[in-house]
Amino acid sequence: MKVLVPVKRVVDYNVKIRVKSDDSGVELANVKMSMNPFDEISVEQAIRMKEAGQVEEIVVVSVGPQQSQETLRTALAMGADRAILVKHDDVVEPLAVAKILKGVVEEENPGLVILGKQAIDDDSNQTGQMLAALLGWSQGTFASEIEISGDTAKVKREVDGGLQNIEIKMPAIITTDLRLNEPRYASLPNIMKAKKKPLDEKSVGDYGVDTAPRLTVVKTEEPEGRKAGVIVGSVEELVSKLKNEAGVL
Amino acid sequence: MNDDLREKFIAIVGTKNARVNQEDIAPYLREWRDRWEGKSELVLLPANTQEVSQILALATETKTPIVPQGGHTGLVGGGMPDMSGDAVILAMGRMNKVRDIDTAGNTITVEAGCILQSVQEAADDVGRLFPLSLAAEGSCQIGGNLSSNAGGTGALSYGVARDLVLGLEVVLPTGEILNDLNALKKDNTGYNLRHLFIGAEGTLGIITAAVVKLFPKPKGQITAFLGLETPAAALELFQAARDFAGQSLTAFELMPRLGVEFTTKHVDGVRDPLTTPYPWYVLLEVSSGESEDHAQSLLEHLLENQMEAGSVLDGAVASSVSQSKDFWHLRESMSESQKPEGGSIKHDISVPVHAIPSFMLDAEKAVLDIEPSARICAFGHLGDGNLHYNISQPVGADKQEFLAMDRVITPAVHGLVLKYNGSISAEHGIGVMKRDEMAKIKDPTALDLMRRIKKNFDPAGIMNPQKVL
Repeated sequence: MKVLVPVKRVVDYNVKIRVKSDDSGVELANVKMSMNPFDEISVEQAIRMKEAGQVEEIVVVSVGPQQSQETLRTALAMGADRAILVKHDDVVEPLAVAKILKGVVEEENPGLVILGKQAIDDDSNQTGQMLAALLGWSQGTFASEIEISGDTAKVKREVDGGLQNIEIKMPAIITTDLRLNEPRYASLPNIMKAKKKPLDEKSVGDYGVDTAPRLTVVKTEEPEGRKAGVIVGSVEELVSKLKNEAGVL
Repeated sequence: MNDDLREKFIAIVGTKNARVNQEDIAPYLREWRDRWEGKSELVLLPANTQEVSQILALATETKTPIVPQGGHTGLVGGGMPDMSGDAVILAMGRMNKVRDIDTAGNTITVEAGCILQSVQEAADDVGRLFPLSLAAEGSCQIGGNLSSNAGGTGALSYGVARDLVLGLEVVLPTGEILNDLNALKKDNTGYNLRHLFIGAEGTLGIITAAVVKLFPKPKGQITAFLGLETPAAALELFQAARDFAGQSLTAFELMPRLGVEFTTKHVDGVRDPLTTPYPWYVLLEVSSGESEDHAQSLLEHLLENQMEAGSVLDGAVASSVSQSKDFWHLRESMSESQKPEGGSIKHDISVPVHAIPSFMLDAEKAVLDIEPSARICAFGHLGDGNLHYNISQPVGADKQEFLAMDRVITPAVHGLVLKYNGSISAEHGIGVMKRDEMAKIKDPTALDLMRRIKKNFDPAGIMNPQKVL
């Protein structure tokens, strides 16, 4: 079976982000970029399935600017076999990404697509679900355990208040959650090997998708900073503050 | 101490900022490695330089010993009072203001009680780097860092604490305030007094504020965790890395397999970055003033060449900040991971960088001759010639019996250090731990000069008595 894993280049999880001075978005110049952590989990999952003999080939794909190549190289260094970069410099919304991925799926014919449940930059949590709908495939979202047997997949889903076990038919879309695995580090010999692995460049036009945004960002704001606490002198003062200032009593 | 004097001391800082109950004083007497015990009946928490000045003037007048304390993370007992209970502890944590940041001159003026990490963060907020970095940075204070001339992982490219200081404000034992808070790179007006207080471990006065240097923040940084066969291979790699990357080589830390086993076993969130075990490891960091790409390509070229040359056997390269934090976490928890393994005899030594491989061979032989089952966990800043030459007890041995072997093991290790023209205290200082030993081995003229300086600055002998000299 072939597995397709879409990966996204995002601002590194540990970077303190800053809003652009004109409030139009987040400052990306000179900011450390890395692979979306959920996508790392997806790549790791695909590699483990390959190591277990369930998968023959892992293809990673990214929609983004030229630099997304680095993210694809990281996935190749972890153990993916082949990469596709769909070059696009502007913002792409989840629906456009899902349509492009549909095109890639039709070209590549994978038996399984593993996506991160969401990207940590826009937190949309939509692409996997939209792709499943566009393809008419079954979907197992927020997976913390995946077991493939024949033409079904058992997926343990992280839902509010617990875990849900579902069985879905293959081919399928699976989106990954944090507890699924701990991604490996890219080893030096594999980083060197990854440089020789094939990386194809495509354009959005190859898939005939209109990427014009359907949403308008009105304003980007930083969350309000936490206000300094106060030390109250007595129980009476505490009660009075709760009553009169906080309005919770 | 009589009640009258105690009241006078307390009046300076106010009752709220004095600790008089043993229960409240206990945290100031707890030493994190459980090596030293001390007693005190009074802890004062001054709010400003004036209060420190009044306290010291009163102490000199009444010959009351004063023990300054920062984050209490020292490793040689420098912040501990003795068992007499006479000493007053001066805890600097309330003096924690950043007084000024000058982005044109790239300096920051901080009070002694600022936590090191908060100095780093204040620098980061204005897009600058304060490069002093060490495992205790979340709790140690800048005053203590300067008083002990801390080293740490940034020393390789930015120097030790001393190299980062432009000016100091110091309260002398008499209560006089030395205002040398200048922010000048060039200032040749007479003796450079600040360097006397840096590394003096609070024996000449109390540093209350400092002007320290800031640097441009690297635009790209990349960390690798490498597997190697021997310390000799690590030295070869170090030289190649420095030749290749120059100032961009910002960290080079050596670790043994045993240390990786200890940390993966005992420390939460640590896993072995490599799939196969190797006898030695190096954590290598490359920073670039240009870009992420530049840092990455420097590192990859270097490592490709070194894998071909055979000095590097395997490695993992961090592809995100959190992976690079993982590598650093492993390195920085190496010290604490030794505790659950029983007794550990520790040395903080430096030798000329070129001598590291032969020193390690000699030292291993010397230690194993004494205790064949001892487990050597030598790690540290290879690029600075500085190793934490720690020896864990044999599995199942009696902790106290092993620690008592200190009497033979330490002279053996230190003997070799001296043979290689090294230092028995590279970055931790002298404190009480190495005082007697320093007295034996230090150049007599240097020792005499130190004693004369001490006597002159501190005629009543109140400042951190029994430490260093």
